[in-house]
Amino acid sequence: MTIRFRTRAHVFWRCLFLQAAWNRRGMQNLGFAYAIEPALDALYDDPARREEALTRHLGFFNCHPYMAAAILGGAIHHEERVAAGQEPGAAPLSYKATLQGPLAAVGDGFFWTALRPFFGAMAALGALAIGWQAVVVAVLLYNLVHFTLRAILFRAGYRQGDAVVGLIARLALPRMAERLRAAGVALCGATAAAVALRAGGAVLAAEAAAALVVAAAAGAGYLALSRGAPLFPAAYLVAVLGTIVAAATGWDGRP
Amino acid sequence: MGFLLLGIVAGLAAVERKGFLQAMLSRPIALAPLTGLALGDAAGGLAVAAPLELLWLGAVNLGAALPVHEALGTVAVAGGAVLAGQALGTGVTPATAVLALLAGAPLALLGRRADRFVEVANERLAAFAEATLRRHHPHAAVRLNLAGLAMPFAIAALLAPAGAWVAAELAVRLLHAAPGLDGPLRVGWWAFCGLACAAGAQALRARRAGAIFGVSAAAVLAIVLTLQVVS
Repeated sequence: MTIRFRTRAHVFWRCLFLQAAWNRRGMQNLGFAYAIEPALDALYDDPARREEALTRHLGFFNCHPYMAAAILGGAIHHEERVAAGQEPGAAPLSYKATLQGPLAAVGDGFFWTALRPFFGAMAALGALAIGWQAVVVAVLLYNLVHFTLRAILFRAGYRQGDAVVGLIARLALPRMAERLRAAGVALCGATAAAVALRAGGAVLAAEAAAALVVAAAAGAGYLALSRGAPLFPAAYLVAVLGTIVAAATGWDGRP
Repeated sequence: MGFLLLGIVAGLAAVERKGFLQAMLSRPIALAPLTGLALGDAAGGLAVAAPLELLWLGAVNLGAALPVHEALGTVAVAGGAVLAGQALGTGVTPATAVLALLAGAPLALLGRRADRFVEVANERLAAFAEATLRRHHPHAAVRLNLAGLAMPFAIAALLAPAGAWVAAELAVRLLHAAPGLDGPLRVGWWAFCGLACAAGAQALRARRAGAIFGVSAAAVLAIVLTLQVVS
């Protein structure tokens, strides 16, 4: 027995709520059970078997929320076989347990620490250089990538089951993440330059002083943060120190 | 009305941030202009969006680790800056922005504590779902998942407007009492923006990040200044 496209789409929609009730004991357990429920309803006519299936998906689960789409698709793939008597009930659980850790690491490394910060930095630079339109474009582009990958992973998990690992390996996400991180840092540098220019206005002579403040804060800040200085105190210190120095020297910060 | 809208924006952002979607709409770069829009000054919100985004670029939810609640902090800071700008009749200026930042940013830390509280509450929710399933109500059991969205919404919807109000009040009172501080605070804001860029670069943890950061900043400055001199 196979699940209809409409039901799979319903499961995909529900997987957007995967972390709605995130908790320390079962983590995404309730979210996973909520997401897979339409598929189990379609697969098991017998209420006892349906409950049994739902109970096994209420167990501990934690993965990156985007990458979990692959596991959700794969879990349906295995549940189809369980319903048909081709696999034992433990098969979907074993699939989830095997993949959740590695896919969480790949997802965290690619989406959370590379792709999203890259588009965040791009939007920040765009906001200063162009305006709100750049923010809209950056958010749309991010979501184009994010939803496309999420849908591809869900579909591949459903169709290929365990073989989805091969597809994820071919995507070479860790290598792409390295490049995105480097590009993101370059965008932060460009944003620092844009801030310095904006601080000084258009008058070249005055820009030197204003740009110096920004450059000193950016340079010293980078060094301090990379040596483990805590972010909040550093931000307060820089803002207050800048204000005090300007007040003491009688500089009003205008070009 | 403005505070009500602010509460709704903050609540929805808190939900989008973790419980539903996670499509970057609760990141400071998108949320700050939306906060401004809710208060009638989207441009004012946009003015603080870029440095807040870079400051909290590293605020990500990795595994069970809890980052600061950047959405709550953003609504408090952007809302505070916009409200102060409206009260003073100046719009968002560097001075109102930096004062709103100093007063509103701690809400991001308070938000992290609230997140821990929510996780404990969700543990009870999950246990209740298991009990409901044992009583043979599978649909009701899994639908409890959606109840987990209520508490983050309510907490953010209450805290964020309060934080924005406090930030705006402090900024307005200080600038009324010491109008001469406007200029020095401007310098404080630009210094903070510089640090925020550094925080963003550092949070990305790329190889040779320091060199890339410095070279790209110097290159952009050199290109723009050369173009200005030539023209």
